[in-house]
Amino acid sequence: MSGGRLRALMLKEFRQMIRDRRYMIALVVAPVLELLVFGFVLSATVTHLPLGVVDQSATPQSRELIADLTESRSFRLAGYYDSTGALGDAIQRGALDAGLVIPYEYARDLASHKPVAVQVILNATNANTAAIAQGYAEGVLQAYDAQRASVALPRGVALAPDYLYNPGLVGSWFIVSGILGLLLILVGTLFSSQMIVKERAAGTIEQLLMSPASATEIIVAKVTPLFGALFAMGLIAVAMMRWIFGLPFNGSLLLFLAGAALCMFSGIGLGMFVATIVRSARQAQLFVFFLNPPLATLSGAFTPVEAMPRWLQPVTVLNPINHFAVIARGTLVKGSGIDVLWPNFLALLTFTVVLLSLSVWRYRAQL
Amino acid sequence: MRRIVAQTRKEIIQILRDRLTLTLAIILPAFLLFIMGTAISLTVNHMPIVVQDFDGSSASTKFVDAFRASVTFSVVPWPINEDPQRALASNEARAALIIPPHFGRNIASGASAPVQMLVDGSDANTAQLATGYASEVVRAYNAQLGGVSTQPVQAAIRLWFNPGRDSKKFYGPGFFVLALTLFPTLLAALATSKEGEEKTILQVYASSIPASQYLLGKIFAIMVIAFCEWIVMMALLVTYFGLRFAGDPTPFIVGSLLYAFCVAAFGTMVGAAIPSQVAAMQAVAAGGFLLVFILSGLLFPVENIPVGLRWLSNFVWGRYYIEIVRDAFLQGGGWPATWWKVFAISGFGATFYGIAWRNMRAMQLKD
Repeated sequence: MSGGRLRALMLKEFRQMIRDRRYMIALVVAPVLELLVFGFVLSATVTHLPLGVVDQSATPQSRELIADLTESRSFRLAGYYDSTGALGDAIQRGALDAGLVIPYEYARDLASHKPVAVQVILNATNANTAAIAQGYAEGVLQAYDAQRASVALPRGVALAPDYLYNPGLVGSWFIVSGILGLLLILVGTLFSSQMIVKERAAGTIEQLLMSPASATEIIVAKVTPLFGALFAMGLIAVAMMRWIFGLPFNGSLLLFLAGAALCMFSGIGLGMFVATIVRSARQAQLFVFFLNPPLATLSGAFTPVEAMPRWLQPVTVLNPINHFAVIARGTLVKGSGIDVLWPNFLALLTFTVVLLSLSVWRYRAQL
Repeated sequence: MRRIVAQTRKEIIQILRDRLTLTLAIILPAFLLFIMGTAISLTVNHMPIVVQDFDGSSASTKFVDAFRASVTFSVVPWPINEDPQRALASNEARAALIIPPHFGRNIASGASAPVQMLVDGSDANTAQLATGYASEVVRAYNAQLGGVSTQPVQAAIRLWFNPGRDSKKFYGPGFFVLALTLFPTLLAALATSKEGEEKTILQVYASSIPASQYLLGKIFAIMVIAFCEWIVMMALLVTYFGLRFAGDPTPFIVGSLLYAFCVAAFGTMVGAAIPSQVAAMQAVAAGGFLLVFILSGLLFPVENIPVGLRWLSNFVWGRYYIEIVRDAFLQGGGWPATWWKVFAISGFGATFYGIAWRNMRAMQLKD
């Protein structure tokens, strides 16, 4: 490998890249915008579910219960209904997500200290929303009971939950720290494969291979400017996570950037490898279409890996997005160090080395 | 009419001949539906939890057994002398339950027995689910103790439409729509942009076929492919996802037909406007896939999107079809709940067709 030749090749690739303004926009600006939109739009938080009420009791006591339930953040009063039938119709139509039925004997039974059941109907179409709404409703009723009973402390176990790392339970932290890796891999794969395929389509690959430069030098020169652009994108993303989404950055920023760099290299390596297999730009893109959905789905970037079926979870070990998501969440939110994250670093390093060496090896065999 | 049929036949023959495209058309949608429907879920089952029992009495053992017996938690062994926070930091557990000394004595004397639960908040949604589930376990334990009398008002919670809170039933219809959005659009865009790229469009211009019939011929061919995909994926929804029609299926059937027209028209419109297959694919990926993925309520409810961006989801055609499919399989609201959504889809289809026709109607090369 010669320093002068490598520098000249790199300069060529770098100039080629920045000359195309549309290319730079697609490479740096688009992913940053996507991260922003994903962070704001993808949210599992359950708030303000429209609640319909059938108040057969119509007493101060029943109104107190309605007020308690609808003043919480999770439900909002959407209207009163005359009968349970009308309420059911509204839920089926999709106008309501929840319903509350308070029976005639509510106030009377309360006064005579008899236990009384109110009916809460939840639209469980979305399993996650239903599970969280159920927890809320039960919590509100328990608090209501405790307040009414005005006994010092209820008998039995009292659970005191304590949220570590994210006491405000901000949902976007999980999403943005996962999506960044997804974007790095998707963008890296797409652009590195296009880069190689373009050279072949234009016929300039033969000139490159005939020059004294070795395949390693050609690949290194191609990777470096692309990596530089991705790294710039990564830095903008870090600034956004800090100041727009307010991630706490509990761990080492350097460790995070090292993980991001390895993730970028894995994406670039994957794209290059794809490019040395396919024949045309059209095929390259179709291949990426094949590859992206499973990569994104089995990554744990926007849904937890533990929520996948058991037999599918081991597959995520082969996914660089997953490893980077663990590193990003560890360093940016939880404050974990290398003592915890080393297996993920090792995995990313392995992907990088294997994919890039495969690309170098296949590069000569392209003609 | 004869000309439309001839154009449709020609398109279908062309697609059947291209192996790669054909696999993409029939196998990939079903594969995508299977893998996404299986892997994507927000509700964690078997959530790993560590327990530190500083009491060691029979009451505390019984309490821990209640957690062991629940489906949602899986108790991970953890040494008593080690900080439970480390289990969360190293991703070995999502939560830690700490039972203080004198737990058994407090329970026996009828006093309140506080128990601390540390929850990993880096995934806010899972953290909320964890506390919700834990409260359910605690409530059941307390009821067993005979402490029910302190809770005069109880919630009788009914989960409608999906009583098992099965995520697959919610996400299956969503990914069904995503696949039906992505692949017919992609095929239509490829088939149309190819004519521009390879200049065969000139032969079309020179022939006697008007723009309206040329476009309809293409659209009908893609609709036939979309129908094949629809059949394959419906089989998967009924068998693997265990979905059945909840009510009147006619809005779903009419909506499906119109939606196939809508996506085929969108792809044809994109392909006719962009005479390059690679660029057309990128446009489909951004317009068809990304928009539907983030703005249609596919993963998270549309109501969770911030108000400033939520109006955008009204312009995402996939959103209406997702709501129709979910209604058909889960809620069963029928025409009263969905008529205007079917109407909206036909509006989108007509608009896309109209734009494509306007751009092409001169049947002349643009200068």
